[in-house]
Amino acid sequence: MRVATDVGGTFTDIVIYDYDPHTKTVNSILTAKTDTTPPNYEEGIMEGLKASNISLEQVNFFAHGTTVVINALTERKGAKTGLITTKGFRDVLEIARANRPDLFNFNFVKQAPFVPRHLRLEVEERINYKGEIIQELRLADVDQAVQVFLEESVEAIAVCCLHAYRNPQNEQAIAERLQELLPDIPVICSYQVNREWREYERTSSTVLSAYTTPLTVHYLNRLVDKLRNRGLNHAPYIMQSNGGISTLNAVKSNPISLVESGPASGIIGAAELGKAINRKNLIVLDIGGTTAKCSLIEKGQLKITSSYKIEASPTQAGYPIQTPVIDIVEIGNGGGSIVWIDPGGKLHVGPQSAGAVPGPAAYGKGGMQVTTTDANLLCGRIHPDFFMGGKMQPNISNIHKAIAPLEKQLGMDKYQIAKGILTIANANMVNALKLISVNKGYDPRDFSLLVIGGGGPLHAPYLAEELHISEIIVPVNAGVFSALGMLMADLRRDLLRTQVYTVTVENLSQFQTILQEMEYETIQHYAQDGHDSTEIMFEYFADMRYAGQEHYVKVPFPRPPSSPKDLDDLTTRFHQEHKRKYTFELEVPIEWVNFHLVAKVEVEKPLFPKQPSPNSQTKAPIYGEYPVDFGKFGKATAAIVERDKLTPGMTLEGPGLIVESSTSTVVPPGFHLTVDDWGNLLIKPMDT
Amino acid sequence: MIDKFTLEVIQNALVAIGDEMFVAMQRTSMSPIIYESLDYAVGLTSREGHLLAQGNGVTAFLACLDSVVQSTLEKYPQERISPGDVFIANTPYAGGGTHLSDVSIVMPIFFEEELIAFSVNKAHWTELGGTYPGSVSTVSTEVFQEGMHFPFIKIKDKGVLNEAILDMIRSNVRLPDSTLGDLFAGLAAAKVGAKRLVELVAKYGRDSFFMAENAMLEYGEAMTIEALKKFPKGTFTGESFLEDDGFGNGPFPLKVTIHISDQGMEVDFTGSHSQLQSPLNLSYTGLVTGVRSVFKAITTPHLPANGGAFRPLRVICEPGTVLSAQAPAACSIYYETLITAIDLVWRVLAEAIPGLLPAGHLRSVCATFISGLHPDTNQFYVQAEPLAGGWGASEDHDGNRGQLSCGSGESYNIPIEIREMRYGLMVRQYAFHNEGGGYGEFQGGNGQYLDFEILSEEAFLTAAFLGAKTPTWGAEGGIDGSFNYLVIIRKDGTEEPYSLVSNIRLEKGDVVRCVTATGGGYGNPKNRPKYKVLEDLKNGYITKEQAISHYLIS
Repeated sequence: MRVATDVGGTFTDIVIYDYDPHTKTVNSILTAKTDTTPPNYEEGIMEGLKASNISLEQVNFFAHGTTVVINALTERKGAKTGLITTKGFRDVLEIARANRPDLFNFNFVKQAPFVPRHLRLEVEERINYKGEIIQELRLADVDQAVQVFLEESVEAIAVCCLHAYRNPQNEQAIAERLQELLPDIPVICSYQVNREWREYERTSSTVLSAYTTPLTVHYLNRLVDKLRNRGLNHAPYIMQSNGGISTLNAVKSNPISLVESGPASGIIGAAELGKAINRKNLIVLDIGGTTAKCSLIEKGQLKITSSYKIEASPTQAGYPIQTPVIDIVEIGNGGGSIVWIDPGGKLHVGPQSAGAVPGPAAYGKGGMQVTTTDANLLCGRIHPDFFMGGKMQPNISNIHKAIAPLEKQLGMDKYQIAKGILTIANANMVNALKLISVNKGYDPRDFSLLVIGGGGPLHAPYLAEELHISEIIVPVNAGVFSALGMLMADLRRDLLRTQVYTVTVENLSQFQTILQEMEYETIQHYAQDGHDSTEIMFEYFADMRYAGQEHYVKVPFPRPPSSPKDLDDLTTRFHQEHKRKYTFELEVPIEWVNFHLVAKVEVEKPLFPKQPSPNSQTKAPIYGEYPVDFGKFGKATAAIVERDKLTPGMTLEGPGLIVESSTSTVVPPGFHLTVDDWGNLLIKPMDT
Repeated sequence: MIDKFTLEVIQNALVAIGDEMFVAMQRTSMSPIIYESLDYAVGLTSREGHLLAQGNGVTAFLACLDSVVQSTLEKYPQERISPGDVFIANTPYAGGGTHLSDVSIVMPIFFEEELIAFSVNKAHWTELGGTYPGSVSTVSTEVFQEGMHFPFIKIKDKGVLNEAILDMIRSNVRLPDSTLGDLFAGLAAAKVGAKRLVELVAKYGRDSFFMAENAMLEYGEAMTIEALKKFPKGTFTGESFLEDDGFGNGPFPLKVTIHISDQGMEVDFTGSHSQLQSPLNLSYTGLVTGVRSVFKAITTPHLPANGGAFRPLRVICEPGTVLSAQAPAACSIYYETLITAIDLVWRVLAEAIPGLLPAGHLRSVCATFISGLHPDTNQFYVQAEPLAGGWGASEDHDGNRGQLSCGSGESYNIPIEIREMRYGLMVRQYAFHNEGGGYGEFQGGNGQYLDFEILSEEAFLTAAFLGAKTPTWGAEGGIDGSFNYLVIIRKDGTEEPYSLVSNIRLEKGDVVRCVTATGGGYGNPKNRPKYKVLEDLKNGYITKEQAISHYLIS
């Protein structure tokens, strides 16, 4: 039996797969949803497990996704953190990159650093860019720092020396001394977090990792204790931001690797579902209450980036975290996004959200601002009988009240306005989807659009039409898709290392040495968790650029280059990738900047279960009819179909609405729906 | 009839196109000043040259993209422009003009044989030849000493690249690969914009596009007029001066009269000093850009740049002043004068409308250009960068520390780890200083030190740090901040202070210390709560002596 638990902002989701490990077929799937219980998140999990009535003794795989790290950061609930830097550079953390994204605002206020200046201490030491120690470490400076940290009751320490990505020796010596003198305080060095250059980004990442360490370790310990007490015999696996799971010890030594734990599992779930149903190119869109998130999967591969930031916005620089994270674009458009008009008479949707309280006007809980959900209700794209899973009757008259001021300002009736709101919300999402596809040189026509979250299936046809995507996939259990994805994830480590070389045959042996060292490092790590080197599968990426450029293009390659021909293949791939992304190639030397190694250990996992097809009926059973304004696809009376009455092979021609507890799937006129063998809804325009 | 919402969708798409062009340029360029300092702008204009969308790295190009198209159209009227043509221009005294280093690429966009718009970008190319590396000098007297000049010529004619221009560039600049790389990055970014716009027009139709264009400009104007309503109306005047012309002469007076009415703002620089035989001349386009940046800051800071938003603004200055220089005035350090002009308008408005703007900030780009041979690779390099410093405090917060000047924006400092590898210099410290000033109820942000040690046998430094004689200004009873300057600390310990300097020789072991100013304070220092003073003291933002003498902490 396999269990996955995903702690989200509002709900904790649990998915339990009972399956036969020999045939990999699934006997049953159980899902449970409980309230998230901050700050003791483990209680919500235990509640859910209790409710689902399973015995943890039978569980041989337990995966966990958590928002504990991102919450600690955004709520500033982490540890009192000290920082040690190379002498002369303690202000790097505060100067940051000196940029001002809010560039026309002279009243701009810069974000404050996570470590105040008096806790940023310097030690004499210096390494040059070649990795040579040109100034020995003065341990007496470390001892002095320890005094300050003791006086100030610091709870965690970050260490970041210049050029430590090339040579971590001084950081290691500092850490050793700190552990000797302060054995109870966690210490994180920059080389443990990331071995890429850019001292501000690396310092910031290390500081944020240290800042979240005590809280995360404490939480994971509590969780493990409680799970053990209930009979779990295995250590749980933790979902990381890179789309893989990891062991407890690994994440405790660098908690920042969990920063995007939640969203990552939804994307990995999509990738795995894609493999099962033979769709390797996917654009994944997850529309929640406040935001829409999207990510692109090419040939079954997730896109990983290490230039991730928290709290970055068009007006703020944010805090960089150089940790491998699935490349996700997030915009402030969700079901709760508030509609407003600016002084120039222009209508905007989001990024402010009505949240769960007071929620959309339709909740009738005091929300007097129109939201995207209200507009969907007015257009009939959400059936009132199935609003919020049928648990709540939408307060339509309250929507009418809320929209009245807009009618007056715009001189239009509420139905026109509702349609306009959805047009604008859809356009915002199209722009986000273009950022991950067209803008990076991908043609959306080569992809299927996989939608999850409560809002995804409501908006998908409009986005697909705009981007000329010919297939929409609405998976089963779209509501708990993140937890489900975790059951499909493998163990994964991403190692990145900056070492800049011109790509020439003379440097071939260097490339091999670096990659061997990195492979060795991951083999050592996995050995600690009992995994043999033969279990490890490596994937290789080169971050490359034309000499003189600063930014690079990530190029996959099949194995460490061992011949001039391998290098030729690699440079050919680079030229192609550069041209795809930026429309041109150059005849100048190519530089290899970062070596990126992915090391995976496959875990035994179930197959996505196929659904039985009990009868030969192919027409979807109709629950009723409802008038729907499909916007650009016209007004029509839609057939209402309950999702749980659909079985594989059934079809429906739009106009239709598929209703289920967590969402509503819109099938406009001119679209055709089929149910595949796994129970997923596949929606296509009829002319394709 | 197209509905209001579709118009808005088209407008949002235009802004998104500007953003995409911006990223394309950053990620392919070869000059650090483009990819780190983001000293460039990209955008779309209407076929008449009205600004529709602009992706910005810096505030300093706000009047450049529209005016460079307008000047292109003066030389090449629409009927002489064919599909596939692309223009290149860097004339300082016409539309788009700043200095020769900022090169514009202007690409006409055709839809079904009809000219519908322009895709434009303008970027600071690190090397364009001229007397000194980096094409910047504090001692040039004519533009001819400052590099290559492209006077609105076709780099592409009906799709065919003019190889002769490429050969000219190749043989006239010090870093030809980098300079040509920037040219290709500019062409690629312009192409992205043109392609996306054609897709957009194909989807919504030509007529809808033109309607959306007009609606967008009117919207920008309406937003600005609305914002102006909250300001007091009247006439406000002020004076400032340009500290130094690079030859030790000065100061040179600058004058401004600002009229604010319900309908708009008029900014008149009549009476300012005549143009100089020095590289500190600013062109009229540059002046308009500067005034637009303050105007935008006080009216619509969060509205995407849009030509309509500037319709209510008029900038007046007779030709031939140091703020409206004519050929063949040198102008490679125009940006220091630009910021001096911005600072003047900023201060007059801050005094006229208390609380509107913060106290004075570092008020200089503090740009340095260090060139030499890399000690390990022997390759020639030019390191060009703006420096961060302190900003002024405002009525509700302390000044920012470690920010580039108002002329920059989404510009980045160069990481130490990258610069040490690329240029072979050694950075000795990058830290806030305690040179004092900026005391107030709200404290000005600290300036900083950046120390470079030269590791090669020799290197050459050009730099312009105005503000060595005049501190940043305090507001509403706040105390003035400190000064921008640089010091060369020779191997033997002798110190040489500088403000403006060209191609000074440095030797192995010499240290260049760049010092940027602390921003001005806001409000009376005696109103600063004691706990804040103690906190600043604990953090070392102020010294004990400063706390005692300026905040009366015992």
